Amino acid sequence: MQGATVIVFTGQFRVESFVEFVNHRARRLQLDAVVETATADRIEVAVSGQPALVDAFEMACSLGPFDCLVRDVRRINVSA
Amino acid sequence: METGWYPVALAEGLERGTSTGTRLFGSELVVWRDSAGASHVWEDRCPHRGMRLSFGFVRDNHIACLYHGWQYDTSAQCRYIPAHPDLAVPSTIRASTYPSVERLGIVWAYSELDSDAPAEITFAERSPVTPVRSLYVDASAAKVFDALVLAECPPLNNAGGATQRSRTDMLVSLRSGDDEILVAVQPLSDVETALHIVIAGSPDVHRGDSQKRVSAWGEALRREIEGAARHVGELRYEVAP
Repeated sequence: MQGATVIVFTGQFRVESFVEFVNHRARRLQLDAVVETATADRIEVAVSGQPALVDAFEMACSLGPFDCLVRDVRRINVSA
Repeated sequence: METGWYPVALAEGLERGTSTGTRLFGSELVVWRDSAGASHVWEDRCPHRGMRLSFGFVRDNHIACLYHGWQYDTSAQCRYIPAHPDLAVPSTIRASTYPSVERLGIVWAYSELDSDAPAEITFAERSPVTPVRSLYVDASAAKVFDALVLAECPPLNNAGGATQRSRTDMLVSLRSGDDEILVAVQPLSDVETALHIVIAGSPDVHRGDSQKRVSAWGEALRREIEGAARHVGELRYEVAP
């Protein structure tokens, strides 16, 4: 996804639950989001949209749904 | 909870540029009036961090959340976020609303959140009315209705006579001759109820003594409902000397 920010969440995930959570928050903030990696300990999301809302998305997903534990959040790259 | 129209405030008590909180079957509502005079009933919750919008402040035709200042227009759409003044706020960021209407000097809300097809309110406007007060009763709405079906209409201009009682949904009418009071019943929770009381008739006629009589009548009704010893058919009314 061109112009996307890739946000990496690491921790302990019920994948289906976290992916649903991510997609819901992306829709709520009118962001384009694609889950590129989804495993029990790592979820990578490429997201694009207004920068302030990407920041809000990161914050919202760092809390995650109740059945997931987010231990770390990083942005590994920013595409030009 | 039966879906329908419920009273949430006396219209006169809601000044322009103010907001207040209330409840309906335990759900928290904000009732606010914009600078143009229109009233609004929303879920009492800012979609940002859940702060009660009733704690917020009204400026012109928007209400701002007390917590971070997010501003919502009269369609409940968030239009401005102070921390990000240049942000084009997504249309998805909006408060949840209840359809509302003012009738009989009372603000009514339809109990289905974000409903786009509320049922028609079942009673017609009557003008003018004289607002009296809102009263809060520690009893269920069912107990309130049980008391109202036995209550006597306090005499206003009439010498007193037989009371005719009727109920349309959450509105009870007590009529004696040309005197009529209207009591709108708001279930705050399973065990708490608000009553919004108005006199059918012009404030030019009923301002003052009539309002005091009906206010005292309402207090007596509350005492009865909340467990006073007297039989509800012996309600007294008092007018201050």
